[in-house]
Amino acid sequence: MDFIPGGELSRRIRQGDVSAESELIRQFEPGLRILLRRRTGGDHGLLQDLVQETLLIVIQRLRGEGIDDPQKLAAFAAQTARNLAIASLRKAERQRTDVDSEATDRNADPTQSVDRIASDLEAALAVRALLRELPHARDRLMLKRFYLDDHDKALICQELDMSEAAFNQALSRARRRFRQILEERGFAKRDLLSLGL
Amino acid sequence: MNQEQIDQYVAGRMSEAEALAFEEYCLSNPEFARQVEYEQRLKAGLAQVASGSTAEFVRSDHPLRWSLAAAASVLIALVAVFFYIWTSGSQAPRNILAAVTDSSPHDASLRLALVRGSDSAPALPPGLVRVEIVGLFDAGNQYSVALDRLEQNQKIDTIATLNDQLPSSPVSLEVLIDSKQLRPGPYSLRVRKQASGEEALDFGFVKF
Repeated sequence: MDFIPGGELSRRIRQGDVSAESELIRQFEPGLRILLRRRTGGDHGLLQDLVQETLLIVIQRLRGEGIDDPQKLAAFAAQTARNLAIASLRKAERQRTDVDSEATDRNADPTQSVDRIASDLEAALAVRALLRELPHARDRLMLKRFYLDDHDKALICQELDMSEAAFNQALSRARRRFRQILEERGFAKRDLLSLGL
Repeated sequence: MNQEQIDQYVAGRMSEAEALAFEEYCLSNPEFARQVEYEQRLKAGLAQVASGSTAEFVRSDHPLRWSLAAAASVLIALVAVFFYIWTSGSQAPRNILAAVTDSSPHDASLRLALVRGSDSAPALPPGLVRVEIVGLFDAGNQYSVALDRLEQNQKIDTIATLNDQLPSSPVSLEVLIDSKQLRPGPYSLRVRKQASGEEALDFGFVKF
């Protein structure tokens, strides 16, 4: 699909074009997810909430007063998301200070906690499937060293006695397969938003 | 933007200014953003798997040996089951604990979940009970389910065990319990992921 510039999206939304609002969600939602995933520490429920809240704020703003520089719509949406993430973090900090944490644990809603970590669980299931498929321990260790231990590529190649080309090839294969597994299991589509405006 | 920048962003190695520019680029390029999200999820998934045990990263390079061992175990189990059925005759009593199939008849249902701070244990209804154990399960793995009776002297008596059970979904695993064969008292279903070092989870209930 074609990318519609922020200026045009802003103008169309201000004129009441509902399809432009859908287009804005389609364009911005993936970027907002990666921005907010980095700031919500794996809390899937919070991530979903903040993505929806950001999109709501941006659309309502465009329907109403608009933004100063419509060409910078992406920057405006990104900053709105960052502000919401900071506000949510502050709120959580305040709650941690004010509330008896043991009482919170006792009254925790188990269904909510399952939902909260569901996204990571799906990724973990896909990773397990990927690890089972990788025939060589070297390839599995390479993933661990690279993603979890944050080792430098050159160091990993030296440790595991592999060339840089072999490293790149194995890593690229693992990434591709991980994506395939998520898509095959339908996990890639589960994060799609339903936004009620 | 390229893969190296994705790696830096996901690893948290970008400066704040670089990260802000990267994020704005992602907002204007949804397909690129999806690629980044797969990287984030791969890292998160690896972290979650490694938080349990690192055994999956260092297992043997010779899965065939394990496959042969597994096949031999299945064969031995089948022979044992056949021998048991053959020697115990056709009037064998119904199992206290059994696997659930789509057509399993049952009189009642019970849902068990780990709830912190619960005042009372769930009660097992009479008859043949379909029990849904709610938790997080790895759909690709097999689980063993043991039915324990908790005696008053703190002794645990394992009454029945089911092996090789597959979860019915990523959040549930089901078994059948014949309530009629249980004496009144506290019980627990102990669920353990097979071939893993993970601790078993206990789901308590009471038979009145």
